[in-house]
Amino acid sequence: MTITAAPQAPPERGIRYFAAQQTPWSWVTLGIGILALVVLFAGTVAILNAYGWTQVCPPDAPQGTCAPTDPLTEGLLSPELGALAWAVIGIGAVAGLLALLRARIVPNKQAKEAAIAGAVIGIQAAVLAGVLLWFRSAGVELFARNFLNIRLLGDFFPRFVNGAKNTLILSFLGGGLGMILGLFLALFSMSKRPVVRAPARIYINFFRGTPLIWQLSFAGLGVVTAMKLDFFSGIDGPYRVAVAVLALNLAAYSAEVYRAGIQSLERGQMEAARSLGLSYLQAMRFVVVPQAIRRVIPPLTNEFVILIKDTSLVVVLGLAFSQKELLGVGREIYSSTFNATAWLGSAAGYLIITLPMIRLVTYLERKLRSGLTSVVG
Amino acid sequence: MSEAIVRLESINKWFGKLHVLRNVNLEIFPREVLVLIGPSGSGKSTLLRTINMLEEPTEGRVFFEGQELTDIHTNLNAARTRMGMVFQSFNLFPHRTVTGNITLALEKVLGLKGEEAQQRALEQLKHVGLADKAGAWPSQLSGGQQQRVAIARALAMHPVVMLFDEVTSALDPELVNEVLLVMQRLAAEGMTMVVVTHEMGFAREVGTRLIFMDQGVILEEGPPREVFANPRQERTKSFLSQIL
Ligand SMILES: Nc1ncnc2c1ncn2[C@@H]1O[C@H](COP(=O)(O)OP(=O)(O)OP(=O)(O)O)[C@@H](O)[C@H]1O
Ligand SMILES: [Mg+2]
Repeated sequence: MTITAAPQAPPERGIRYFAAQQTPWSWVTLGIGILALVVLFAGTVAILNAYGWTQVCPPDAPQGTCAPTDPLTEGLLSPELGALAWAVIGIGAVAGLLALLRARIVPNKQAKEAAIAGAVIGIQAAVLAGVLLWFRSAGVELFARNFLNIRLLGDFFPRFVNGAKNTLILSFLGGGLGMILGLFLALFSMSKRPVVRAPARIYINFFRGTPLIWQLSFAGLGVVTAMKLDFFSGIDGPYRVAVAVLALNLAAYSAEVYRAGIQSLERGQMEAARSLGLSYLQAMRFVVVPQAIRRVIPPLTNEFVILIKDTSLVVVLGLAFSQKELLGVGREIYSSTFNATAWLGSAAGYLIITLPMIRLVTYLERKLRSGLTSVVG
Repeated sequence: MSEAIVRLESINKWFGKLHVLRNVNLEIFPREVLVLIGPSGSGKSTLLRTINMLEEPTEGRVFFEGQELTDIHTNLNAARTRMGMVFQSFNLFPHRTVTGNITLALEKVLGLKGEEAQQRALEQLKHVGLADKAGAWPSQLSGGQQQRVAIARALAMHPVVMLFDEVTSALDPELVNEVLLVMQRLAAEGMTMVVVTHEMGFAREVGTRLIFMDQGVILEEGPPREVFANPRQERTKSFLSQIL
């Protein structure tokens, strides 16, 4: 007799296998849970739509009798929405109960997972519906008027676009300059000569140890007001100060990232290069830095995302109207309309910019973990 | 006997308080294959790395081709182009192809033109039997192949002496021979070599002089066969009996 073990394909464990393992009960539980969530979202949108989101008030309407958000308030307080919320709580509770009652007698792991998923989704929907009911019982009208005036976002849309443009300019100019400066700082901070190392360390610790908002304020006051440098004065002055300070600040943070990347390389790389007759600077330039750059791309992108949000601190510099970035725009619209919906516009702008960057960091980290060559080759 | 290529004079080296090399004197002559053996931590690597000044001796002087490397006016980079070194962990540059590993120093240090450097790289790859891997990335090669590329990289500089630091220790047993064969042929071609190794077969067959080190001191020295047959020192005897 011969013992053979020919290689076989792994058993199929995809969505089809998952479906085949279900029992009627697990299907029903999963279905009811999803139903609760769908009913909640679709129903709420449908009801609010029916009542309308905003209205245009006649210019001669007496003070306090008409608000743009009145239809929305009416929709939120409508009996239909209340009934919907209670219905969702009921459906969600059914999903939870079903899972609880049948949990012990499901035949396999896939069916159990489906039932649990159904119960969890159903309970999430029920909790959200509860929050909605609680919200209806509070001061809906005032809240809608101050925070949910969507018309306002539409009216000021071009301003927000301009703010996003300025946020991007500040981030990319400050970030680009800072990352270049940071590389040199990192190299200096690793010198074996204390006289080279010490100034770099002092610089890095100073900029990492003081708040960015202090750095911006101090530079704005000190440079623009006291020193009268032409480049940093005049109408574009505060904008240039902003770019310069953001760059100086990011340089300190990126220097630490570079240093960690360079020190993570094996000592042998530098030694191999030196043993071939390359000078220290040549070895850094052709061997160490190119490899370190690849390793620091994810953490550096991370610093960049932080910088994008930190550009909001330049509001302390008092930028000119067309130079305001996202937060500045929101703040200004708020102070001219006394409506806080503008803040939501700023937040939406930041998310539109940062979410793709955050995805990029995750993607790069995964790609880099699969080995150096996949990035090189 | 002709003039020594390398001369170490009263070398002392401390790492912190640890006295790693203790008044070592050594001369290396053309066409010699000098084999360094000794227990772990005895200072073999440190001694080897002192020759091309990867380790700077705390005291003493290092001469290479009559030039004092320990003199601060000496251009170390220029001297190092004439000494090849191969490491236990290969230390290929992972971001460059096999050819790119070899051409880097040819172009940036020796100033060869691209075409010329490529030519020389290919020549050396043929020499170690890896011409077909010219475009590969280091990570695509086996350990033995990586180490042969590292040897080719050093040889491409046309050095007058080659330094090998336990170059087969990190290899799987079946890959050791392909590297040793390359080294053996290099020795047969008359290359001056300093070899730190635990391969006693290689030491006996290829070595022209054997040095046994212990605790930073050269304890015994002579033709490999003689030392293996009758070690004079007790310590050499017990070391050899453990390893053979
Ligand atoms: N950079 C360093 N800093 C501090 N101590 C060191 C350093 N390099 C080596 N040593 C110490 O010096 C001693 C001699 O080291 P060396 O590497 O020369 O030994 P070796 O004979 O090559 O040993 P092995 O066979 O293990 O390679 C050891 O005790 C080691 O721990
Ligand atoms: Mg060693």
